[in-house]
Amino acid sequence: MKEDKQKIIFDKDKIRTRKEIFEGKERFHKEQAKLPFEEKIKILVELQKIARSIKGKGIVWEIEE
Amino acid sequence: MREAIQVINELKEKGLIKDYAIGGGIATLFYTEPFLTYDLDIFILTETTSTQTIIDLSPIFEYLKQKGYTWKGEHILIEGVPVQFIYADELEKEAVEKARIVEYEGVKTKVIAPEYLIAILLRAGRKKDREKVEKLLQEAEIDMKELQDILDKFGLRERSESYERG
Repeated sequence: MKEDKQKIIFDKDKIRTRKEIFEGKERFHKEQAKLPFEEKIKILVELQKIARSIKGKGIVWEIEE
Repeated sequence: MREAIQVINELKEKGLIKDYAIGGGIATLFYTEPFLTYDLDIFILTETTSTQTIIDLSPIFEYLKQKGYTWKGEHILIEGVPVQFIYADELEKEAVEKARIVEYEGVKTKVIAPEYLIAILLRAGRKKDREKVEKLLQEAEIDMKELQDILDKFGLRERSESYERG
């Protein structure tokens, strides 16, 4: 069966094709892109913290949150 | 970041710089979903012309040092944010002049428009720059006509074509 016809069941109300999954991902990225600038900077600082906890080094912006 | 922007605005108010705009990763992030980046790139215009052999930006850094900010490698740490000041060349000068005026927590600032960001990133051409171009093309609203005009004006059309070819 072609992958774009194949349906994947995640839950009874959540049945998707691979194409739909990737379209959903793309939609999610576009929604995230619309977040307010301030919100994105908060997320950035959290990402910096995660990166430092993984690598054991790296800058974390010391800004008021 | 609000405080860092306020300090950069002070540089403009005091005439130490003529104008500025946020570029690089933070400007890209303004238009895309959040991603990891570490510094705040500030493209600056001064009264000095770009044809001069020596560009003296020391008054800016003297002012910042007097305020207690210190160097951390190539960056100056302003209110907890590593800031890199970049003296704008011709393309970046136009990008600063045409940058979008935005507010960050009530403080006015300027962010380079996505079309100029793409041109600057294409010219730099590193892997991480190309990744940002891809994010901008996928997630931001790009005026493709304006982008093509900028690429043509600054001789970057070829970079864009080689990018499209992969």
